[in-house]
Amino acid sequence: MTCSLFNEDNVQIIDSAMNWKIALQKASEPLLKANIITPKYVASMIESIKKNGPYMVLTDYFALMHARPGDGVNKMGMSLLVSRNPIDLEGKPVKIFLVMAAIDNTSHLQSLQKVISIFMDTESYKTILSANKSAIVSMFKKVKC
Amino acid sequence: MKILAVCGFGVGSSMVLKMTLEKAVKELGLDAEVKNTDIASAKAEQADVYFTSAELKPDLESSTDKPVYAIKRYMDKDEVLKAMNAFLANKKGN
Repeated sequence: MTCSLFNEDNVQIIDSAMNWKIALQKASEPLLKANIITPKYVASMIESIKKNGPYMVLTDYFALMHARPGDGVNKMGMSLLVSRNPIDLEGKPVKIFLVMAAIDNTSHLQSLQKVISIFMDTESYKTILSANKSAIVSMFKKVKC
Repeated sequence: MKILAVCGFGVGSSMVLKMTLEKAVKELGLDAEVKNTDIASAKAEQADVYFTSAELKPDLESSTDKPVYAIKRYMDKDEVLKAMNAFLANKKGN
């Protein structure tokens, strides 16, 4: 059996969250549970947003959350959290939190490129925003671990 | 022509910006190489033009005399096209 980067466990749908930190914590949970990242990585991501500003919001409603590779990361992984209602991230409304954990500067690039090309497709992007879990999981099935 | 997409760590956002820049390059029919990197490496790497976030722009500008353009939304092709056209127009004028 081939394994997909996204599955029932690491794609989560919520209604809303009090703030972006809570949303990010929730989005990171599947990676924490699977021991892919440690709590240190979550703290680094929060630190990075505070320090560098919300440039990780790549387009309306979509934030790519990550921190320095390797630091608090045991293996490459991603998780996705979609909120039905927008959550303020330092002035920008976000509905999609894509958490990315990389172990170095290169080994995740192929997967990330595949994931992002799905996000760049207008129809696929609408599907993600629709917060329909099974539709999202099946759309990302082709992206392998 | 060499174009550099720059972000804080050089592993995520700048890769996305690179993908958007590549689309813009293709659409404009430019002969250009697009690379992505982190802010520290970018300061030591020569390019004809740099694209980064508004937050990182001042830092990068302090270490190069080449133009630096700030992009708000790394995935927004129209915004990137606009910045690229501004760069090309400026270059022509010089």
